[in-house]
Amino acid sequence: MQSKPSDIELIEQTLAGNQSAYADLVKRHQRFVFTLALRFTKGREDAEEVAQDCFVKAYRSLGSFQQQSKFSTWLYSIVYTTAMTFLRKKRVDTSSIDDDEAYIQIENKPGAYDAHNIENKSRSFYLNQAIAQLLPDDATIITLFYKGEQSLDEIAQTLGIEANTVKVKLFRARQRLKEKLERNLKHEVKELI
Amino acid sequence: MNSIDEQLWSYIDGTCSPAEQQAIAQLIAQDEALRIQYNELLKLNEEFSTMELDEPSMAFTYNVMENIRTENAMQPLKATINKRIIWGIAAFFIITIAALLIFVLTSVNWNAGSAVAIDINIKMPQQLDASHIKSFFSGSVLKGFLFFDVVIGLFLLDTYLRKRQGIKQH
Repeated sequence: MQSKPSDIELIEQTLAGNQSAYADLVKRHQRFVFTLALRFTKGREDAEEVAQDCFVKAYRSLGSFQQQSKFSTWLYSIVYTTAMTFLRKKRVDTSSIDDDEAYIQIENKPGAYDAHNIENKSRSFYLNQAIAQLLPDDATIITLFYKGEQSLDEIAQTLGIEANTVKVKLFRARQRLKEKLERNLKHEVKELI
Repeated sequence: MNSIDEQLWSYIDGTCSPAEQQAIAQLIAQDEALRIQYNELLKLNEEFSTMELDEPSMAFTYNVMENIRTENAMQPLKATINKRIIWGIAAFFIITIAALLIFVLTSVNWNAGSAVAIDINIKMPQQLDASHIKSFFSGSVLKGFLFFDVVIGLFLLDTYLRKRQGIKQH
């Protein structure tokens, strides 16, 4: 049985002129890149635009990727910068990570609050709902840590900050997520009563 | 000093030092309240790991590749020029030079007898008639040519300055 080519092999094939290898690379990382973009934009259309832009940018600078880090780490740093630029352009409030009062509107989540049957809602639904309510920085760190298979050092590289700062931010982000999760679940229980 | 929650998270993530790890493990084993707190965080950690990734639209990969194709098509000619064309031009010049060399070498009379003088059997014109060439450089033609040169020069200078300004702005 033929094993799947690694990211590096796909990059080499792309650089040799094989565009379908890059399509495979896009397919492999698209879900994570899209999710990361969604953490910032809070809307599927914008997230898709940002994610596409990231892959085009990555393709353009693929020749400059020096393979000193994982391709995913390099790609996520592109996502982070592109999403930040997007936020700046859109003038969305990206106030301090410590600003707990900041409220983020959740778009394109049909039926997120109108469904009353708590039994039909999975735990992951509540988790995703709570993550969507977090600030982009918090949601990004949590997503990178739990789903991006990224170490603290790699997250630090992606975000351009110190590993220790990532550790502190991750701790705070988890605390906030826990609070949101508890608050949302309490709200659902109240609705049922 | 880190809060106990922070220490417990570090313990769960495995990011604390071996000494800290040992100390926290001991605390968990001794303190019932801390053990409950630790189990709660452990459960939360497992739950966070079950987070689902969102799926982009079906046409996502196609759209990315289409964007790349469009961008490639819009690249300047000097970046996209086919290398085979360059090799073709090089081959044309090499063949021409080689043909001329072969022609010259075959025209040499190697049996001329003298070791120093080689009789090359190519007939050159004895006298060039340049009278008709002079007419091309009459006053009006020369002025026109110079004017055209100045216009081209200014155009190229303008293009160069615009490019430099563009690079600075980026």
